[in-house]
Amino acid sequence: MSHTTDTEEYEPISYVPHVESNGTKEIWRTLTILSLLTAVDIILYFYMPLNSFRNFVFIVLGIVKAYYIVASFMHMKHEKIDLAAVILVPLLFVLGLIAGLLYEGNFWLSI
Amino acid sequence: MSTNSATVSTTKTWSGGRSPFNVSYGKLMMWIFLLSDAFTFSSLLVGYGAVRFSYPPATPLIEKISPMSHVDHNFVEVLQEKGVFSEAHWPSPDLVFNHFPFLHGIHLPLFFVSLMTFILIFSSVTMVLAVEAGHRNDRKKVGIYMFYTILGGLAFLGCQAWEWTQFINAGCTLESNPFGPSQFATLFFVVTGFHGFHVFSGVVINFIIYLNTKVGTYEKRGHYEMVEKVGLYWHFVDLVWVFVFTFFYLI
Repeated sequence: MSHTTDTEEYEPISYVPHVESNGTKEIWRTLTILSLLTAVDIILYFYMPLNSFRNFVFIVLGIVKAYYIVASFMHMKHEKIDLAAVILVPLLFVLGLIAGLLYEGNFWLSI
Repeated sequence: MSTNSATVSTTKTWSGGRSPFNVSYGKLMMWIFLLSDAFTFSSLLVGYGAVRFSYPPATPLIEKISPMSHVDHNFVEVLQEKGVFSEAHWPSPDLVFNHFPFLHGIHLPLFFVSLMTFILIFSSVTMVLAVEAGHRNDRKKVGIYMFYTILGGLAFLGCQAWEWTQFINAGCTLESNPFGPSQFATLFFVVTGFHGFHVFSGVVINFIIYLNTKVGTYEKRGHYEMVEKVGLYWHFVDLVWVFVFTFFYLI
């Protein structure tokens, strides 16, 4: 049995919350941070000896840059925690993929 | 009124008639799409990591080539003879991506790709400025910043086309390349190509939003939420580039 009858007109929900501008201060701050981190990447690339610690530093810097892009530019910091959890928690599966495939890659090396 | 206010507010959040996440349906779905896209790119990048891990790292050069130094036309052949470029181990990106437009014959590792990174960061900034102007219902400013964002996207695509041309002219195909294992070029083409296609579709979508802004669609609608949604996609493309830059060029 349908809940909508002929007399009731179905209205689609087109809910768009009103957002106030927070100004441009945070944007310039994030730009500065991202530029500095990229500059650090470039400096380390030329002056740091080749080893696994260097690679670790590059990956950490990449994750920090990703944090600033998602939190500030994509506004995730200002969203409800429920939304952030729905999007970010499933990404933990990627850790499993990394562990599994790098283990496999190491195994291929030993063949 | 109920005595248990906590229960009441929870029921209200999820009992329909409102957005439990306090975002519009379209924005939520854009986030869900980006999550799925993040999985796609994770698979590609982790697959790259696995293949790369299955080869021993590049043999270090006996004498290091310093940046800005002169390189000969037969640079690749010489390194092949020295055994630096061989099928047996993964090549060092330092010796492969060392070109810069108009500066031929000079060893400039990382310079061009750093330029590309900054182009993408700046176009992300103009996008977020367009979103901010949208919050103030400033139609003119939204148009200007969207235009700059499109220019940034096109500049990035142009750089990538140049990078690919350089790579293809060096003799790289999906099946073989002069630098090392065949997967090196295959993964480069597939991953940067997939990212580049995202940039391309981002530019197309940005252009549609730009036209809509100019025509006044969003002014009539009363809000510029479409700019926010396409902005999410654009920032995601920038985010993916951060990791492509890290794994393909830095490490």
